[in-house]
Order: sequence, then C-alpha cells, then structure tokens
Amino acid sequence: MEIRVNLDVMMARRKISGGELAERVGITPANLSILKTGKAKAIRFSTLMALCHALECQPGDLLEFVED
Amino acid sequence: MNQRNKNNSIFLSQICVILFALLLLTLDIGGWWMAKWFVTLRGMPAQTHRYLLCSLYACSPAAWAALWGLWRLLCNLKDNRVFEEENVRIMRIISDACVAAAVISLVSSSYYLAFLVLALCSAFMALIVRIVRSVFRQAIEMRSELDLTI
Repeated sequence: MEIRVNLDVMMARRKISGGELAERVGITPANLSILKTGKAKAIRFSTLMALCHALECQPGDLLEFVED
Repeated sequence: MNQRNKNNSIFLSQICVILFALLLLTLDIGGWWMAKWFVTLRGMPAQTHRYLLCSLYACSPAAWAALWGLWRLLCNLKDNRVFEEENVRIMRIISDACVAAAVISLVSSSYYLAFLVLALCSAFMALIVRIVRSVFRQAIEMRSELDLTI
C-alpha cells in the first residue's frame, strides 16, 4: 500500500525536462529527483500547487494510491 | 546560546572528561595501594582488599568505555553532528557501561554496603542516558522525515 508519484509520466506528457520543472516550481533538482524516485515521505501543499500549476494538471494526475 | 558559548561549554566538558580519565588512570595504576590504604583506614578484614580490587578492576573497563563514549559524543557535538545514528550508538555504549557498573556495585555491596549507593547512582545514570537516547532516536526520525518533505 503506497502513494505513487507519477511525476515522470506528466513530465513526459508535457515534454518538460527535470531542470526546467525544478526551476518553474522553485525546488532543487535533487528534491525533484527525490519526488520522482518515490523516496519523499511527504509533499507540501505549496509544492503540489506549484507542480500542478507548472504541469497544468490536477493533484490526482500526479499522485496515485496503489494497493498491495 | 551563541556559537562561542557553545564551543566554550563543549571545551569545558572535554577538559572534565580528560580530568576524569586521568583520575581513572591513577586509580587503575594505584588501585592496589589505594585499596590497601582504604581497608587499613576502615579496619576491614584482610580479604576485603582482594574483593575491593576485584570490584575496582571490574568497573574500570566500563568506566573507560563511558569516558570514551562521552569524548566521542563531545567531538561530534563540536563538529555540529548532533542528531546522528552514531550518537545513538554511543549513548547505548554509555548506558550499558552504567548498567555494568551498577551490577558490579550491587554485587560488591555484599561485602561493603556503601557500594549500594554507587549501584543506585549508576542505575539512575543509565536510566537518564537511555531516555536521552530515545529522545535522540525520535529526533533523528523526525529530521529524516523533514528532510524528505518536499
């Protein structure tokens, strides 16, 4: 049971690179990598909002609940 | 507390650890004579000298381990490495050393009752260190969670 972050899928759809997204959202590429690899333990609403804004999507497009 | 005060406090603590290490070294070297003098002074039976030496040299490794742990802990604090797994491990060593000293003192109280006070002090010290260790472990978990909050 986990929350999966589908950031790479949305990035591919929007054809946006990691560096560019990190710059638009205002986080470091290292933190973006933590998000993409699923190592993050929590995400701030402000970060989620910035991601949704940059990728023109909804939170549900980025986060997915996966049952075991 | 500003950086200078913090460094002064750590420096003073390190000096205290060195002083205790010197005291322990003196006790290790001159233990035989000190125990002899103590037994004579208190008018204890002759075999108490042997028991005292056993207690003294059994407690010595635990005391060295605790002092080494304190020294490492202070060095880590000086390097601003506070909430680290290594510090938790060191505190475990210190706590175990206190427990060992408490057990040895408890056994030693069978021939000299005053050791009971030492056993109680050591056990209390072990309890304090154990609680601080738990706080540190919790803080490390919280910090790692905070570090992985994006």
